[in-house]
Amino acid sequence: MANDRPRLSWLRNIAVLLVLWEIVGRFQLVASGALPAPTAILAKFWADKSDYPSHVLATLEASFLGFLIGNAIAIAAGVAFVMSPLLLRLFRGVNIALFALPPIAISPVLILTFSGMAPKVILAALGCYFATMTATVLGLSQADTRSLDVVRAYGGSRLDEMRLVQFRSALPSILGGFRVAAPAAVLGAILAEFGGGGRFGLGTYLLGSLGRADPPRLWGIGLMATLIAGLAYAGFALLGARITGSSRAVTVPTAAPSLAAEPSNRAMVLILSAAAAALLPLLLWWLLLAVMQVPEMIAKTPAGIVDYLFLGGGAEQAQQRLLAALAETLPITVLGLAAGLAFAFALAVLSDLFPAITRSFMPVALVT
Amino acid sequence: MADDRSIRLRQVSKTFRTRGETFTALQSVSLDCEAGSFTALIGPSGCGKSTLLRLALGLDAPDEGTAEIGGLPPGEATTTGITGVAFQDAALLPWRSVEANIALPLDVLGKRRQDYAARIAELIALVGLKGFEKSLPGELSGGMRQRVSIARALVTSPGVLFLDEPFGALDQILRRQMNIELQRIWSESKATTLLVTHGIDEAVFLADRIVVMKAKPGRIATVIDVPFARPRDKSLFVHPEFHALNDKVARALHGE
Repeated sequence: MANDRPRLSWLRNIAVLLVLWEIVGRFQLVASGALPAPTAILAKFWADKSDYPSHVLATLEASFLGFLIGNAIAIAAGVAFVMSPLLLRLFRGVNIALFALPPIAISPVLILTFSGMAPKVILAALGCYFATMTATVLGLSQADTRSLDVVRAYGGSRLDEMRLVQFRSALPSILGGFRVAAPAAVLGAILAEFGGGGRFGLGTYLLGSLGRADPPRLWGIGLMATLIAGLAYAGFALLGARITGSSRAVTVPTAAPSLAAEPSNRAMVLILSAAAAALLPLLLWWLLLAVMQVPEMIAKTPAGIVDYLFLGGGAEQAQQRLLAALAETLPITVLGLAAGLAFAFALAVLSDLFPAITRSFMPVALVT
Repeated sequence: MADDRSIRLRQVSKTFRTRGETFTALQSVSLDCEAGSFTALIGPSGCGKSTLLRLALGLDAPDEGTAEIGGLPPGEATTTGITGVAFQDAALLPWRSVEANIALPLDVLGKRRQDYAARIAELIALVGLKGFEKSLPGELSGGMRQRVSIARALVTSPGVLFLDEPFGALDQILRRQMNIELQRIWSESKATTLLVTHGIDEAVFLADRIVVMKAKPGRIATVIDVPFARPRDKSLFVHPEFHALNDKVARALHGE
């Protein structure tokens, strides 16, 4: 059967990879044993098997809750943004801030501010928001304009268009968002477990095992986390593939969509909305702290940061410390970005030339 | 319900702006379609014939002038379910079966599908799609999809029918068949109809009068009455007077 050949070569490549890994691990070729052999990891995993269920469950519970909350907010926001382009422009700053926010940096703040499961859930939800929100906006706005015309021709409201056409046609795109969001939720929950002080969770388990210098266990935990994230991804990928076929328009629109009339004071509107978009994240930040009544010691307001960096007594010192830290981080960031891009590009070119490479590397790309 | 099924456009103008360029799609166009009349709009591309239909149906708002269906603003008239519409592209929802696509206007208007089950079955038979009730649009040919969209336009038994090149994507043979079918359906319902087309023979065969339009700016050049008695059948297609009128419309289109 012709169909079996790619599958077989895929299996063969995996086997070769595993054997190579086993050899490298057995002879401690990488960093004197930091990369243990797969069999050693499996053996350790078997020995630790009674530890895993409670940790996995704790992480799953937080990621699942965060996934639900984050995606609910993301979809609601996506619908609102599509219904009101002005809202989308105003929230651009907030959206970018939420996307660019490094989870590892806010995780300590969240842990200090909230207690119990809340930091894990919030970080998991934050990990979901951007992917699903973007997918929702994209999916909703790509709905077939001609079908929308039919709904409007019968006096359908904006809500009817949403209900009867847009939401269903955006479903594959939203599921694509979930696919990316699901591993992000797991990762967010695990990150918040570092130093979260809870008893259970894969992050807690990992942190507790760090001091024991036991690479096989660390790898076991890491692979377990990867497996959960990968399964979440695969689940939504399968679901998405199933319903995509029946969502595509049968024909391509022939007429170009008519452009909305541009307001005469366009430049003014653009400048104002850009300014509002830049200020809104700061306003929300301040409001959140005010509503939560977080003590000033832990969570700084925007004004507090400006004071700390530019006005206060130790401002010069603070600036120097920040610049020194940036000087450490930035070159690594730039190098990492360049290396990552180059590797991804090379891989993309190679896999186009030799499709077999894609099949054997895909699992690796997903795991990392 | 008001018995008025007329379409009235008063001095409507519409301008589109794209990247700094302005394009006058329609300049002070007035058009009256009396209840029960069949009007065909014909003209070169860019003459604003589709825009005129969209304004009349309330899909776009005119920059100047007013549009009315049965004495009401289009936005109000359409919510009463008095109108039906079919576009050049079938624009079916790919996830809905033939039946469910035909029922879409009912969903928008908030009517119960069950009350219209017989009507839907009758329309499916009328457009020759018996046996395809549960098929998805992706499983149908282009001609079949277009027939679904015609059935969808008729599901509410509309008093005012808007057709925007509904057979534009079909081949000549299928198009003639559909013209004959539409003529038969229309003779029974007598819906006030506004048809946008670029087929001269289609306009002559179907309409009571033909509105010839010109581009740059979009406007009405002339109106030609079609005197043929109804009901019309396929013998009209080979009648000498039919060809004479075709030529007259062609000359009007070329600006003679």
